Amino acid sequence: MIDFARVQKELQECTKDIEASGIRVTPKSDSLSHLLGTIPGPISTPYEGGIFQIDITLPDGYPFEPPKMQFATKVWHPNISSQSGAICLDILKDQWSPALTLKTALLSVQALLSAPQPDDPQDAVVAQQYLRDYQTFAGTARYWTETFAKTSSLGVEEKVQKLMEMGFPEAQVRSSLEAVGWDENLALEKLCSG
Amino acid sequence: MDDCISSDEDYYDSDRDSLHGLENEDSEIQRVPKTPSTKVITKESLLAAQKEDMRRVMDLLSLREYHARTLLIHYRWDVEKLFAVLVEKGKNHLFATAGVTMIENRSNTSSEASSMVMCDICMEEVHGNDATRVDCGHCFCNNCWTEHFIVKINEGQSRRIRCMAHKCNAICDEAVVRTLVSKRHPDLANKFDRFLLESYIEDNKRVKWCPSTPHCGNAIRVEDDEFCEVECSCGLQFCFSCLSEAHSPCSCLMWELWIKKCRDESETVNWITVHTKPCPKCHKPVEKNGGCNLVSCICGQAFCWLCGGATGREHTWSSISGHSCGRYKEESEQKAERAKRDLYRYMHYHNRYKAHTDSFKLESKLKESIQEKISISEERESMLRDFSWVNNGLSRLFRSRRVLSYSYPFAFYMFGDELFKDEMTEAEREIKQHLFEDQQQQLEANVEKLSKFLEEPFDQYTKDKVMEIRMQVINLSVITDTLCKKMYDCIENDLLGSLELGIHNIAPYKSKGIEKALELSACWNSKANTSDKYPPSDCGTSGGLSECERLTSLNSEENGCSSRKRARAEVVAGNFFDLNLPAEVVDRN
Ligand SMILES: [Zn+2]
Ligand SMILES: [Zn+2]
Ligand SMILES: [Zn+2]
Ligand SMILES: [Zn+2]
Ligand SMILES: [Zn+2]
Ligand SMILES: [Zn+2]
Ligand SMILES: [Zn+2]
Repeated sequence: MIDFARVQKELQECTKDIEASGIRVTPKSDSLSHLLGTIPGPISTPYEGGIFQIDITLPDGYPFEPPKMQFATKVWHPNISSQSGAICLDILKDQWSPALTLKTALLSVQALLSAPQPDDPQDAVVAQQYLRDYQTFAGTARYWTETFAKTSSLGVEEKVQKLMEMGFPEAQVRSSLEAVGWDENLALEKLCSG
Repeated sequence: MDDCISSDEDYYDSDRDSLHGLENEDSEIQRVPKTPSTKVITKESLLAAQKEDMRRVMDLLSLREYHARTLLIHYRWDVEKLFAVLVEKGKNHLFATAGVTMIENRSNTSSEASSMVMCDICMEEVHGNDATRVDCGHCFCNNCWTEHFIVKINEGQSRRIRCMAHKCNAICDEAVVRTLVSKRHPDLANKFDRFLLESYIEDNKRVKWCPSTPHCGNAIRVEDDEFCEVECSCGLQFCFSCLSEAHSPCSCLMWELWIKKCRDESETVNWITVHTKPCPKCHKPVEKNGGCNLVSCICGQAFCWLCGGATGREHTWSSISGHSCGRYKEESEQKAERAKRDLYRYMHYHNRYKAHTDSFKLESKLKESIQEKISISEERESMLRDFSWVNNGLSRLFRSRRVLSYSYPFAFYMFGDELFKDEMTEAEREIKQHLFEDQQQQLEANVEKLSKFLEEPFDQYTKDKVMEIRMQVINLSVITDTLCKKMYDCIENDLLGSLELGIHNIAPYKSKGIEKALELSACWNSKANTSDKYPPSDCGTSGGLSECERLTSLNSEENGCSSRKRARAEVVAGNFFDLNLPAEVVDRN
C-alpha cells in the first residue's frame, strides 16, 4: 500500500516553498497515486523559460519503491526519450532511496536538464547529436522548448483570469489548469464536474 | 578445537584411502598422493562450507559474522582476492567498497530510547524504542525499516540490502533485518536466511549447482580450475564451466555451437533445398542431376532448377527455352555448391561423432554381457581367478570412446571456417588438420581393436587363448590411453594453444576418467558457538554448528591437471567466457 499520509505531507511541504524551488506537485486524480509535477527549465540552458510537466505514478510500495516519472511535455534531451518522455535517471531506478521525496526527485530531474549525461543515453539520436554537433542540438532543444513547453505557459495568467471571472476560486483554477496540462477547455470541464 | 585438528588428519587419511580404492587401474597410473579437487556440497554441508570461509575473514580482521559475510558476498566468496585487496589497499578501502561500516561509538543509544525520534521516511515522530539506528548511524522507524526490507527481499536483493538513507552505501545488519522482518512475516525471514546461505553458491565462481533434473540438491565446488569436468554424488557428469554434459576436448563454445547445429532442423531443410525441388506440375521432389539447371521430372515436365518454373526443353548458357530467369547466374550456383559442401562436411563429422556416442550409450548393456562372461569364466577356470583386466579394459574403452566422439565436433570447428578462419592460413590449417587426423585415426583404430577383443567370447576359450586376449586388452588399454594423452597434448599446445583468442579452454585429459567429487563432510560440535547466532532454518538441525573439517586448499602441483593448462586458465580467468546454456540443453542431461 502507498503511504498516503506521507504523500500528503510531501505535497504540503512542496507547496510551502514553491516560491523558492518553482517545483509543483499536484494530484491528477483523487487517489493520490497519479500526480503531475511541474519544473521550470533551468536558467542558461536551452530549456530556459519552459515549463515542463511530468507524469508521476506511485507504485504500491511507494516510498520503498521509486515513483514512475515521465515527461508529459516533449523535450529534446539525451536522457529523455523524444518519443515517450521516458527518463533515464539512476535515482528513479536502482539508486532510489526511501529518504528521497517527489520534490527531491523532481529537483534531480531538473538538474538532469542542466547537465545531460550523453554516455548513458535514453535517446540515442539526441545523444549522438549532443556529442557530435552541440550547436544543432542546442538549437533543436530550444525550438522544442519554445514549441512545446511555452505555448500553454505564455497565456497562463490570462487563462487563470478568464476562469476566475467565470466564478471559480483562484487556487482551484490553478490546480485544475495544472492537472490537465494548461488546456483551458479541459480545465473548465474539470471545474464544472466538481 | 583440538579434537577438530586430529579429526582433520583422520579425514585426510581416509580420503587418500578411498581414493586408492577407486584406482582399480593398471600399473600405468602413477600413484601420486593427491586430494580430490572437487567437493560435493549438500544441503547439510552448505552452512559448514560457508562458515569456514567466514571464519577465516572473521579471524583475520576480528569482525562480526555479518560483516564477514558482507565482505565475502562483495568479493564473491574469493577469500584470496579479499585478502589481496586488504594488503594492497588497506582495511578502510576494503570496508568502504563492500558497504561495511563500523560504528565508533554507540553511546547515545540509551538516551535515544526514551526520547522521540523523527523518521525521515514516513515523516512521523516515533518513540525511540520504535526506531532502529544501524551501523552507519542512520536512524529510521521500525515500520519503515520493515517495509524496506520486505521490498528488498521480494526483489531478490537479500544479499545486499542497503541502508535507506540516500547515497548511504552501508549494508544493513542481518540480525536487524531478521528480527524486524520475522515479526511481520516469519516465512519471509526464512527466505532471507536461505538467500544468504545460498549466496555461497550463487555468488561464488568456484561453486555451482549440480545441473541434474530433477535437482539432486547438491552443489559442486572446485578448487581452482573452473575448466574441468566433474561427477556429482548423484552420478551426473558435467562440464563445470558451462554445466552441460562433459564434452572435452570440445571447448564450451564449440560444444554449444555443435548442440545447436545438431538440433537445427535447417540442416535437413538445407539438404532438401540443395538436392531436390518440387516439380511444378506433379509436385514430386525432383533431384538435380549434373550441373545443368534444366531438370525434368519423371512425369515429363521440364523445369528450371533455379526458380522452379516450368519451361520447354532446349536451353542455352543464358536461358532455358520459353523462359528467361534472372537468377540464372553463376553466383547462385556457387552458393548452392557451397551449401552442399558445408553439409557434406557436417555430415562427415556428425556421422563419426554419432557412431561413437551411440557406442558409449550402450555402456551398461555391454558391461552386463561382459560381467556374465566373467562369471562363467570364473566358474570354469579356477586357475585364472583375476579378471580385473576385463573391467579395466572396458572402462578404458568407454573413456577413449568419449574422447573420440567429442574430438569430431572439435575438429569440425577447429578446421572449419566458422570460428578460426582468420587465425591461420589455408596451408597452416591443412598441415594441422593432417597432424590431428593422423592421431585421431590411430586412436580410432586402436579403440576398435580393443572393442573387438573385449567382445570375444572368451568364456568359451581355452586358457592359452584367454591369456592371449588378456595380453592384447592390457596392451591396447595402455596404447589408447597414451594416444588420448597425445591427442590432448596436440589440441592444447599445437591447436588451441596457438590461437589468439583465449576463450577456448578445455577440461584436461584425465586418464582415470571424470573425477568423482567427494562429499564435504560437516560434523556437529556440542560446543555451541555463542558469538554467531545463525538460525539453522535450512540445515534441519538446531544448536550451534562448528565444522571439524578444514577445507583443503589445494596445492596446484599436487593436482592432477597439467600445470601448463592451469597457467593458461589463470591468464584468461579475467575474461572468462561464460556460456549460460539454455535450460533445455541442460535439461537434456
Ligand atoms: Zn518511519
Ligand atoms: Zn546509512
Ligand atoms: Zn547432482
Ligand atoms: Zn563446457
Ligand atoms: Zn512431375
Ligand atoms: Zn544446362
Ligand atoms: Zn528460371
